[in-house]
Amino acid sequence: MSATIETIREAVSRTREARERVQQHRSTDAVIGVLTQTAKNWLDPNSPWRKRAVEYAPRHSGFSEAMVQEAIDLTFGAINYESLGELLDRELGNRRVLDEFCLRGRVQSRAIAPRLLVHFLAGNVPMPGIVSICCGLLLRTANLVKVSPRDPVFPSLFIESVREVDAELADCAASTDWSRGELALTQTALEDADAVIAYGDDHTISALRQLATPQARFLGYGHKLSFAVVAKEAMTEENLPQLAQAAAFDASVYDQLGCLSPHVYYVEERGQLGPRKFAAALADAMAAYQARVPRGQLSVEEAAQIAKFRSSYEFRAASDKRFVVWSSAAGNDWTVIYDDSPSFIPSCLNRTIFVKPTDGYKRVLDAIQKIASNVSTVGVAPMHERAAGFAGDLARMGVHRVCPIGQMQRPPLSWHHDGRPNLADLVSWTDLG
Amino acid sequence: MDKVASDLQQRVLALISRGVAQATTDEEFDWLARDVFAFQYERCEVYRAYCDRRKQTPQSVAHWKEIPATPTSAFKDFALTCFPVEQAVAEFHTSGTTREQAGKHFLETLELYHAAIGVSFAAHLLDENAEMNGRDARSTLPMMILTPSPEEAPHSSLSHMMGVVMEEFGADDSAYYVEGGQLLLEKLVRDLCELQWAHEPVFLLGTAFAFVHLFDHLDQQNLKFDMSEGSRVMETGGFKGRSRELSKADLYALFERVLGIPTTRVVNEYGMTELSTQFYDATMLVGKRTDGKTVPPWARVLVIDPNTGREAAGNERGLIRIFDLANLWSMMCVQTEDLGIRRVSESGVMEFEVLGRAAGAEVRGCSLNAENIVVE
Repeated sequence: MSATIETIREAVSRTREARERVQQHRSTDAVIGVLTQTAKNWLDPNSPWRKRAVEYAPRHSGFSEAMVQEAIDLTFGAINYESLGELLDRELGNRRVLDEFCLRGRVQSRAIAPRLLVHFLAGNVPMPGIVSICCGLLLRTANLVKVSPRDPVFPSLFIESVREVDAELADCAASTDWSRGELALTQTALEDADAVIAYGDDHTISALRQLATPQARFLGYGHKLSFAVVAKEAMTEENLPQLAQAAAFDASVYDQLGCLSPHVYYVEERGQLGPRKFAAALADAMAAYQARVPRGQLSVEEAAQIAKFRSSYEFRAASDKRFVVWSSAAGNDWTVIYDDSPSFIPSCLNRTIFVKPTDGYKRVLDAIQKIASNVSTVGVAPMHERAAGFAGDLARMGVHRVCPIGQMQRPPLSWHHDGRPNLADLVSWTDLG
Repeated sequence: MDKVASDLQQRVLALISRGVAQATTDEEFDWLARDVFAFQYERCEVYRAYCDRRKQTPQSVAHWKEIPATPTSAFKDFALTCFPVEQAVAEFHTSGTTREQAGKHFLETLELYHAAIGVSFAAHLLDENAEMNGRDARSTLPMMILTPSPEEAPHSSLSHMMGVVMEEFGADDSAYYVEGGQLLLEKLVRDLCELQWAHEPVFLLGTAFAFVHLFDHLDQQNLKFDMSEGSRVMETGGFKGRSRELSKADLYALFERVLGIPTTRVVNEYGMTELSTQFYDATMLVGKRTDGKTVPPWARVLVIDPNTGREAAGNERGLIRIFDLANLWSMMCVQTEDLGIRRVSESGVMEFEVLGRAAGAEVRGCSLNAENIVVE
């Protein structure tokens, strides 16, 4: 049901009142406990929340039921007492600063959370939205959550599942939806916000940034892309099956639609096994993952993009040995394209992945120079000393995360999303002494 | 030209010269199409390799619909010809973006090309005139062509086509109105004024992009025309981000409102550098505004469901695949990147509608994709 100016104002005042109560009656540690219990409930294979998400999410997100199951495991597997505590300690120095003055250096300081945090969620990947709501609840702020039309299910189910554990805390968050075109509603939502978290394409984010009040803190997360590099040391007979499985997982999860999903695997030459061997093993692993977690239904436009990529490369591969195409036997479930040229080619997604040979890390840096500012995550295998040097070069180019292949889709809660802290940018400080 | 090739060319030419009114039966088309397929399989090495890979060869293909389609992208990667490419009498290039290599279509002869252009063009834009005023009426309209001349753009298939129709059907005072990449707006306005004063109909031909430019100019100058009865427009699609984009309906409304040319006399042309045959809205054939395009007897159009690779169900959207026998010397069966639908028209014939490029697929997640990141 679409929101109106009245329902938005009502939700804001309701969550603000709840915030007043929670500020008095809940310690940060207690909130960590509630979120931990909530996540645990979701992880139970028989959880009613899980069942409802699996029932309702696919029709909006386009994911298969098995993909929704995987998304639940990835999202709630990341949320627990240790990771939530670590997030607070790492970003604020000490989780207790939200409850009381704590000694920081020579003065005592206390972190003050925003009163109203408005979340604009986007896309069909549930994890960023859930983490965003968790951050708001950890700060014990009032949260107005505008859900994405691609995922109206997870945010509201999550808030309901918090209610089961702690109704008063759940009252601090309200999810709602309205069409992007309804400017008056967006303005209403933003009129009292002193912090805004916005996900979306560059255009959406800059539009929201302009609509937010000048004093509001604004965290914008744009669309990004990712890729990975396999060094020659990883290309051994013994290592390949496991590596390919990890690579297929990273490329297939969320049907490759997430910003952490790799578009290209660069494989270093002169290993025990060559890049083509990696591509063939990746194809097998993509097929195995598809059998376990099928890709979702595609729109005609999405399917047309895959058809275009496939036919274009299949035509080349027929008479040009620099190209090889592996694809699902029937349908368009997955495609692995081996392409000899080092240039970075963005994929059409939906489990269409490029494998490209490379002379080494240095060459990869040359190839991705022009897209570096759009890169979220770079997967590497193995995590060795050379990879650390590579990570240093990537950092200088503006890349914000380097991690092992197989972990690309599992960022820790305390990661620097797009290079920035999650909570530290939302609070202000009061010093004593 | 050897006998096999010249026989095939004569058969295709005979089909084209029958005109658009007399449809080919499935058997008739199949007979010729599979001979053309066998010819192209034998003479074009890269196409043969592709067919072999797909295990669809002249021995195995039992019906024209099974003939492997060449993706338009392949025209960028290979010289797709059934003759030694150095013997080409003309080559046309796709415009493309700077980061992409242009697709190239090489022609062994202009005979088929020109025949196909003339027959379709006349049928969809001129013949009602012929019926009213006798055959001479075909060549009385001054053509105002909003593209560069073929001399200025020798590799543009659109300019080449304009040259052919101007030569064949245009009045002596026909002219091109794009020079050095500039639309000659003042000359256009002056010439439109003169024709209006003289109560002479005009035949405007150009890209949608150029017409939007013209309408923006007329709007700024606060100018309006009421062109004489008999005026008409051939508009060919594609904005490619070069101007503000207008829907077809909005653009056609401007022809009526600003130039006084009714939308029943504005015809969209769908053509591609990679093809020899153009397709037109049946508007002037049926005397009623329609987005349905007719398919001439020497061609077939299928709409392919991109999820299955098979023909889309009736009225379902899919990728347009064209079988163009006039492409005898290059690739007869071409897989486009345009979405369309196929249906039976009100008058009971198969027609298709072009819905635009299959680009701009909305990303459901938070990743950038090939459509919304520019690697430059």
